[in-house]
Amino acid sequence: MSKKTAKTTKTISRKRRVIRVGGESGQGINSIGEILAESCKDAGFHVFAYREYPSLIRGGVASYQVEFGGAPLSAPSRECDLLVCVSRRALHTYLTDVRPGGMVLHSVDHAAFSKEEESLIAEREITVEYINAARIAIEHSGRSLLANVVLLGVVWQLVGLARSIVEAVVVEVFGKKQELLQANKLCLKAGSELKLERLQPILFDFKPREAWQDSMIMTGNHAIGLGAIKAGVRAYYAYPMTPSSSILKFLADTYHQSGMLVKQAEDEITAAQMALGSMAMGTRAMTGTSGGGFDLMTETVSLAGMIEVPFVCVIAQRPGPATGLPTWTAAGDLNLAIYAAHGEFPRIVVAASDARSAYYLTQHALNWAEVYQTPVLLLTEKQVAESLFNLEAADFAREIPIERGLVAADEREALKPEDRYKLTKTGISPRWNPGDAVAEYDLNSDEHLPDGTLTEDAAPAQAMIDKRLRKLDAILKAVPEPVRFGATTASTTFIGWGSPKTAVLDAIAQGADCNYLHFDIVYPLKTKMLKKTWSEAKRTVIIEQNATGQFADLIAAKTQLVPDDRLLKYNGRPFFVEDIHEYLSQGGVS
Amino acid sequence: MSTCTNCRLPHHSEPVTHAQWESENIFTWCTNCGNYGIHGAFKRAMVAEGLKPEQMLLCFDIGCHGNGSDKIRGYRLHGLHGRVIPLAAGAALANQRVPVVAFAGDGATMSEGIGHLVHAIRCNYDITFILHNNTNYGLTTGQASATTPEGVPMNSSPDGVSAPPLAPSHLALSLGGSFVARTFSGDVKHMTRIFQSALHHQGFSFVEVLQACPTYAKHSTHEWYLERIFDVQEDEAYDATSREQALSVSQDVSKRIATGILYQNTRIPPFSMLQQNRRERASELVDEVEPQDITQYFDLFR
Repeated sequence: MSKKTAKTTKTISRKRRVIRVGGESGQGINSIGEILAESCKDAGFHVFAYREYPSLIRGGVASYQVEFGGAPLSAPSRECDLLVCVSRRALHTYLTDVRPGGMVLHSVDHAAFSKEEESLIAEREITVEYINAARIAIEHSGRSLLANVVLLGVVWQLVGLARSIVEAVVVEVFGKKQELLQANKLCLKAGSELKLERLQPILFDFKPREAWQDSMIMTGNHAIGLGAIKAGVRAYYAYPMTPSSSILKFLADTYHQSGMLVKQAEDEITAAQMALGSMAMGTRAMTGTSGGGFDLMTETVSLAGMIEVPFVCVIAQRPGPATGLPTWTAAGDLNLAIYAAHGEFPRIVVAASDARSAYYLTQHALNWAEVYQTPVLLLTEKQVAESLFNLEAADFAREIPIERGLVAADEREALKPEDRYKLTKTGISPRWNPGDAVAEYDLNSDEHLPDGTLTEDAAPAQAMIDKRLRKLDAILKAVPEPVRFGATTASTTFIGWGSPKTAVLDAIAQGADCNYLHFDIVYPLKTKMLKKTWSEAKRTVIIEQNATGQFADLIAAKTQLVPDDRLLKYNGRPFFVEDIHEYLSQGGVS
Repeated sequence: MSTCTNCRLPHHSEPVTHAQWESENIFTWCTNCGNYGIHGAFKRAMVAEGLKPEQMLLCFDIGCHGNGSDKIRGYRLHGLHGRVIPLAAGAALANQRVPVVAFAGDGATMSEGIGHLVHAIRCNYDITFILHNNTNYGLTTGQASATTPEGVPMNSSPDGVSAPPLAPSHLALSLGGSFVARTFSGDVKHMTRIFQSALHHQGFSFVEVLQACPTYAKHSTHEWYLERIFDVQEDEAYDATSREQALSVSQDVSKRIATGILYQNTRIPPFSMLQQNRRERASELVDEVEPQDITQYFDLFR
């Protein structure tokens, strides 16, 4: 990626402001970030928040970046307007990400910049101001620990909105501890009224919207949880693994309301097997993990394919191989999702790009798993799983009816055991639950006859393999085509899946000369809209969050279409909106 | 037929016959395989309890016993090697109206899937688990398992097994199992009685069947077992509610081998009863698959 930021950003209107709070893990920067994000939202701005953190509980540099604007935002920026730092390391790590004309607010005693840093500050005309936040906190509350709240007050002063908005959020967060609450309020007031020597208010020309004050901020994992609850999932089994763990936490935190059975299993194999067992009995169950955990689940995926029992697993991607970069983002497990598990059987792989798509794709995944009696894998990325997206109630308004694909109650009396794997045209056989009919069957992991009886004879074995694989044609007919965004006349056509959608769409909203074809369903590959878009494109670029272009390879294998370029990013960081602008301004040479 | 009201076995007045449990498929086990006895005793237990095939889910692991999944009636789920316990537990949690029985061999249970056994006992899932312990991997032609006696030469261990055997029932007891029983594949009557008791127990019922394998386990034949086994229930002084006694009698698997209900504790609630968020619900997970109103959660995000 190029460093020629100043050149490109002048030509576009960013329509957002960006505040990054940086510090060490455990210094409470998430609290400041969360309060700031919610306050901006309550003020009526559209908000997006992005976290970077190391795989540690204490120490190591972490940041919480809040972006707000007057139009929908869904992707992070690389550069910030205001950098707030509470640790020396964070100050030096993030200084290079401050925009020209931007500001730095910090509470690092005796901070000293290197020659290079000094010249960067001068070149970009960055304003830096130190405040002794701890001393101010002690003066106003007797507690140095509330230094962060003083900083929050200063930030809010720079944003220039009514203190009552942020104060209400502080009350909500700290309200349970009355004595702390008063101290918090005093520190917030001190910060917001502090006379600043250098820093100036953050200027912006976009306006808040009243309707957004009542909107919601949630992660992709929250949205998956809501999708699961909405879809009637009654059991969730999982083993903790970043960045999937917060699905487990959310479903556990809400299970008194939902009545869902939530079980932290002893390993991923168990989680997958329990989910499959629950599905075989006839409820809706799900599991979730990251790539490494999914590696362990793959034999279960194969079993689900063979016994034709629905199975749904969320694969929350992070950079591999092995432990990789546990708390960073990637989309390198597409091939894993498509090709994992032994033997040949149909499957569906869908990929969420943001919280909204995660909500709907979770519901589709469960429907398709049941209707086609086969595994459905839902890919997300740390960027989708843990970033905070701003959604309105209306974003959840579309109803996806539950489709179980089960034999109706009044037709079960006529069932025979050999109906369970009946050789049908579509490959889809009647399915009914244990105990629901006199006709019982064997869900047999050995190759089998239509009633599940084991067979090793050539002809019936081949017939059953063909029957299962025929479902892939039925799936391909039923799943939707990819969707094109932006003007058809644009000079570059991006094609992609997962989180790059958010960066490209945010760039288009800022005026970038490109359009975008997005795949929610990545396997099996729909080709009609792809070929149409391709034929209308001036220049095709497949954009992916991995090192080898796995989706580009899939497209080439299925269609022989080779793009003009592949834009790949695989250093653990998501595509920033600036990345898209820079790529386009350089004539698309990545 | 049982009149037990504590357990969750389905009750009805129609008599159940042996024929209802008969499959037309022909057995593929060796002559004199212990599986015949286990298979017959299990069907007898089903008939004695008045359980119909369409009311039960039988889960099978991989191995010689698993090849019997289509030699019996009932809803059956024949999974993967070592994984039958979590598969069966997941099924049982979804619908307690359908009793779940899981069968597995010593290879799967004591090696590949031993972690599952440990946690299933710890969680006390409400399933009946029947371990076919024939002290070797029969289906893969006689390799040593974790229950093969030390020093016995086996396929792929030509100089003899160089590690001591695990004692499954002793392990189950040491893990705090709520029901641990041991029986013998040569005694159909004893097995039937044990299987029935296991079905009535609420929680994880662990039943180890000492199984003769005439083809590969030359070290522990039918006669070898007959000379060594005794039933703890024949001793009036034996207290099956005493874990200490059970631990003490279950250790010896080579000289005097204890069978019978070694231990039962009815005060340990099964996993499903400990789920506080589901205590008040009379319905099963299979009954509840319907869209839920998610707007009730919206305030969490505002």
